[in-house]
This record gives sequence, C-alpha cells and structure tokens, in this order.
Amino acid sequence: MSLKYMIPASKFKRYLPKDYVELVDYGPFGKDYADVGVKNMGTFKELVEEHPMCSGCWMAYYIKIIFAALPNPENTVTIGTAGCGRLAISQAAVPFIYGNYGDQNAMASGLTRAFRLRFPDIQKDVITIAGDGGMMDIGFSMTMHAWFRREKFTTIMLDNEVYGNTGGQESGMSIEGAVLKMSPKGKNFGKMPAMQLAITAGCVYVVKMSPTNINKSAKAIRRAIFAARNLGPTFIHVYTSCNIEYSIPTPDVFRDAKEMEKGRFAFEEFMTPEAKELFAKVESKKKREVS
Amino acid sequence: MYYVAKVNSEMCSTYKCNMCTLYCPEANTLMYDKDPKHGNKNGTSWVDEDRCKGCAICVYVCSDLLERNCIEMAMVTPD
Repeated sequence: MSLKYMIPASKFKRYLPKDYVELVDYGPFGKDYADVGVKNMGTFKELVEEHPMCSGCWMAYYIKIIFAALPNPENTVTIGTAGCGRLAISQAAVPFIYGNYGDQNAMASGLTRAFRLRFPDIQKDVITIAGDGGMMDIGFSMTMHAWFRREKFTTIMLDNEVYGNTGGQESGMSIEGAVLKMSPKGKNFGKMPAMQLAITAGCVYVVKMSPTNINKSAKAIRRAIFAARNLGPTFIHVYTSCNIEYSIPTPDVFRDAKEMEKGRFAFEEFMTPEAKELFAKVESKKKREVS
Repeated sequence: MYYVAKVNSEMCSTYKCNMCTLYCPEANTLMYDKDPKHGNKNGTSWVDEDRCKGCAICVYVCSDLLERNCIEMAMVTPD
C-alpha cells in the first residue's frame, strides 16, 4: 500500500463507503504527526475500526496506540498470529498478514527482505504484533532466530500472561503460582525473561513497559520502528492485562496497569550506542519523518 | 439494555482537557470536538454511543484521577 493508492479519484469518491471516505479525509495518511499523533487522539479518524475485543481490554487500548504512533502508516505492514490481538489488528486500515501459529517473525523476515529488494527507494516498515503465547511459546524458535539473524523489523509482544483466547491456560509468561481457569493448581515455573533473551539475541532496542503514559508508549513504538529501519531487530514487551481471565473489573483496568508499572513491568529501556545516536538525530527533527 | 458513557458537555467544556479520549480502549468512540458549541467556552468530549462498550475507564480517568466528574454511565434502552 502507498499513499497514492489510498486516495480515490474525485468522481469515484461518492460511491465509496462512508468509513473509507472519512478515513481519507480525516485519517492520518500523509499528514503531520504533530496533528494526527497520539496526543490528538479523539480529534481525527483513527486507523483501527470497530472490533470484537472485550469491553475495557487493555490490549485493544495498546493496539490503538500502536496505530496512532506509526511514523509512516501508508507504508507499514503488520503481521500477527492466533490470539486476541489479531481481532483488532486485522480491523485496521493497514495491511495485515496472518502468520499461522507463531510464524509471524519468520514471515516478517522474508517480507522485510522482499520489500528491500522490490522497493529500494521506499522505506516500508514491518511490525509483528502477537501475544505472549504466539511470541514466546508457540513461535519462540522463529522469534529468536529472526533476532539472531538481525532481521530489520519491529517485534511487539502483547503480554497478558495467559492464553486468553482459549479459556485461560498458563503461558510461558504467566508468573509462578498463577492460578487460572485451566491451571487450577497454579503454575510451577517462573516467568520467562523475555527482555534479557532479546538483548542476548542481538536486538538493538528493547523496552519493557506497562502502557499508562501515552507519550512514553508512543515514543517507545516510534523509536523501535526507526531503529529497525537501519540498525537491526527491535523488541517491545508490553503489559496488556486480560480483564476476563484475571477477573479485573473494567473500570479498574487502568488502575491495574499502574500497579504493574510499580512492580514487574517497571519501565526498562535498552539501546545500543548506535541506536542512541540515531534517536538523537531523529528526535531533533520537529516534523514527522516520512521516508 | 446496556450502559454507555455520557459526557456532561457543559461541565466538560470548562476544563479544556481531553484526557478521557487518550485512555479509551475503543478507537473512534470517545472523541473530542475542538470547536466550542452551544455557548460553551471550550471544546468538549463526546461519545459515539453505538461504539461504546461501557467499560467505564473514562469515568475512572475523569472522576478518580482528575476529580472532575464530567462523565457518568447511563443505561441505553431501545426507546
């Protein structure tokens, strides 16, 4: 997809669905990030459409931030896999590819390489967005090997610490002793150290966070995308609670995210010296970077 | 019958804040109108009731965090 294909011919516009025309007129395509970024959410047409995720889902909230923070939405492709997240990611006005059972990072490797060959003059961003099961359990080998190969794309793990979509089984990211519907005795093993694994495997920018501050969340996403363009793999490990499986009342979901920020999801950021240099250069520019 | 968020636009317009719109998990649901209307001083937030899933996170932000009490949950009936 590119900006050229997004904008319909003026005579054809009246026959198109209203939602699409609104997206072209009031959406973020081709506009300045200062006007249509996360700070201005609620004043422009967002890329995510109506989706079937649960009421008060913090994962749906973070997905909304991802799409609002994209530096170049018209030249971005997202890849996901089985799990709650893809229910919303696939409803966005950004091309989405479904990776079968955890192979999202393997697909992203091929897609990134193909984009660089096919469009050497255009910067195409590839982002894989999957849950803790898709990224660290089922797709673990493909995630790790994409990082070992230094593939240049962004990996975002939406960690809800449970298999929420299939009834509440424990995942590798559930904490030790977590009692869930399908693990009534409690989990016997500890949480996998995803951030350390990513650093060891060669990611150039790694963040662990709970999304309670919208600017901080957007900054991490944008940094991860900018670093992935030139330097190497980047990884964001983010807490997105499952209010159904962990029985969190919906008005308390934000409160829970804040508590997690004080605990095991305290903000941690790792970057290589090259990435630090790049961010200093990119963030000194005031205008939105369009490749 | 289900609950949706309702914004008291008169109270909301006195604050010039769009914090609730930044924390709504549903896209294109809790919106912010920058232009002052109906004699209000500033713009206000407003809710697309067809899309609201009634999670009340906006009420937590407006009432518990900011203590402004501009949003409440209201029952929607077929009438």
